[in-house]
Amino acid sequence: MKIFVCIKYVPDTSEAVVKVNAEGTAVDSSRFSFDINDADNYAVEESVQIKEKYTGTVTVLSIGPKESEVMIRMAMAKGCDNAVRVEDARIAAFDPLLLAKVLAGAIKGQEFDLVLTGCMAADDGQMATGVALAEELGVAHAAMVKKVEILEGKVKAYRELEGGLMEVVEVALPAVLTIQTGINEPRYAPIRGIREAQKKELKVVGLDDLGVAAGDVDASASRIVVEKLYLPEVVSSAEFIEGEPEQKAEKLASILVKGGLV
Amino acid sequence: MRGMIMSTESQTFTEKFDLLGCIQCGRCTGGCPVTVRTNLNVRRFVYDAYSEEKLEELAKLAEIWDCTACHTCAVRCPKGLKPLEVLIGLRSMLVDSGKVQSTVRNALESVYLEGNPWEKPKATRYDWMEGLDVKLAKPDTPVENLFFVCCTIAYDPRLQVVAKNMVRLLNKAGADYGFMAEGESCCGSEIHTLGEELLFEEIVGENTAFLNDFQARRVITLSPHCFATYKARYPHLNKPVLHYTQLLAELLQQGNLSWGHDLQKKVVFHDPCYLGKQSGVYDEPRRLLKSIKGVELVEFDRSRERSLCCEGGGGKMWVESESKKERLAETRIKDAHNLGAQIVAVACPFCVLTLEDAMKALGYEEEMRVAEMTELLAELA
Ligand code: SF4
Ligand code: SF4
Repeated sequence: MKIFVCIKYVPDTSEAVVKVNAEGTAVDSSRFSFDINDADNYAVEESVQIKEKYTGTVTVLSIGPKESEVMIRMAMAKGCDNAVRVEDARIAAFDPLLLAKVLAGAIKGQEFDLVLTGCMAADDGQMATGVALAEELGVAHAAMVKKVEILEGKVKAYRELEGGLMEVVEVALPAVLTIQTGINEPRYAPIRGIREAQKKELKVVGLDDLGVAAGDVDASASRIVVEKLYLPEVVSSAEFIEGEPEQKAEKLASILVKGGLV
Repeated sequence: MRGMIMSTESQTFTEKFDLLGCIQCGRCTGGCPVTVRTNLNVRRFVYDAYSEEKLEELAKLAEIWDCTACHTCAVRCPKGLKPLEVLIGLRSMLVDSGKVQSTVRNALESVYLEGNPWEKPKATRYDWMEGLDVKLAKPDTPVENLFFVCCTIAYDPRLQVVAKNMVRLLNKAGADYGFMAEGESCCGSEIHTLGEELLFEEIVGENTAFLNDFQARRVITLSPHCFATYKARYPHLNKPVLHYTQLLAELLQQGNLSWGHDLQKKVVFHDPCYLGKQSGVYDEPRRLLKSIKGVELVEFDRSRERSLCCEGGGGKMWVESESKKERLAETRIKDAHNLGAQIVAVACPFCVLTLEDAMKALGYEEEMRVAEMTELLAELA
């Protein structure tokens, strides 16, 4: 099995105070911690588990800054064999369709059986990159995969749909799978492994190395224009109902009826 | 540092932990506090770990994660062994395979990436200082007392008050001190006990270089865990390390601290394992409490070196015990309640969390209070 796993370096905003920069164009990330995107972490684990079972190689692919190399080394410590990091200031990173083009540029021309990636990035939540990547590569895909079975020349992918419904599909290889969290239990990247991973190859490339025309993936190529970023205004519309219990109940009932809620 | 790694790697388990020294007297297990609620029998591990081929099986046993690193077994062993280190060694094998609980994984990765086990950003470590008149330490400016704030105290909203109160007490005493506003990073206490030996080695190297750079006479820690770790596991640290209760006792003795109010309460002091059993500090916290007018200081039956562990150490903050039996913290709070104590005074962030939880679970909130020493003292100063 020759596997590519695409991962993204994202801020952890779960508890952080999110502030927009002065220009209103980006989130101020100076006080965030960054790490591998959660769903991508599961994709890494799944890739390594498939490799451990069927042999083969796993290549990590990521578009991101130098700082993200710590995350890439951690993925290699878990069992990925080599890595390619794409860094190029011209890439319109806000557009998942263009990110897919860049990733495809890094994969095209090489043999592969599977490309795994998380089903959603925690920062922009677009859920589009993986699926668009399949399109760019001209291969089949399955999204939101919660279980994978490797068969002869194809995979059986269990897709988790709304309400926990499972859809089972067979997809011919090569294919792209976008991995849902919970598919496995991602392992820990021990320091011993991280030290050993320093010996593995991590290539850093730009658009020119990939043969991707900048004009195809820069802001001018995007159909998205980020106009403005702002925090939703907090509006308070709570109404306190006063009075004796019966009066309160009556008022509440009339509000619910008027609002069409009952 | 490289040489150190090589030497540990070439040693066998038996050599590293001096297993042949064990006479199987059973004193370790006899004193182990968690035996009342889990299957852990540490003497058995000391015995079985002798055969190298058994190690992998032993590492898979769930009870290796029940040890709280309270050090009772090490204190009691007549042959000077540290039985708990065998358990930590087994944990290391698991950590190296990557197959640990997700909570442990997250804590370890967080220390590697952000310098704290709580998955918080490095950048917000000093937020507790906001609005306070804190003196900051700079490497090139001599200072008497260089403060090291524990990760748990720096980030946990319940515990930040410990650092804040310390600043208030120091300002009041006119002490020469400095806190760090950058570069402060986990001491590695729990990383060591969770078994991530190589990460711990890296942390020791980095923190030693960082702290040695300061022209400080001594380092003062807020948590006994940092205290015990710096004292016992940082061989190249170039300054002595104190726990804050030692500094406050000193300031009190010199007449730089005094209490403006009295406290008509029955108080019991809970000896934290890392402060008492592991570091031998028993008297200073008691001296501080006795100096408060009105305080009636009572003692647990199990106090000082026999103090009952609260189960907060040994990485247990990230490993839930499977046992449904009464938690030791609950036993401790019941003991305090039976003594009629109105305040359980503690001097460790983990003890605050475990004992306060237990007190709430038992429904004693109306009758008693778990208070960190700095909380009591700052209220009275
Ligand atoms: S107390 Fe020491 S000598 Fe006795 S059984 Fe335990 S490890 Fe062995
Ligand atoms: S350190 Fe404490 S909990 Fe761990 S084995 Fe020793 S006595 Fe038991």
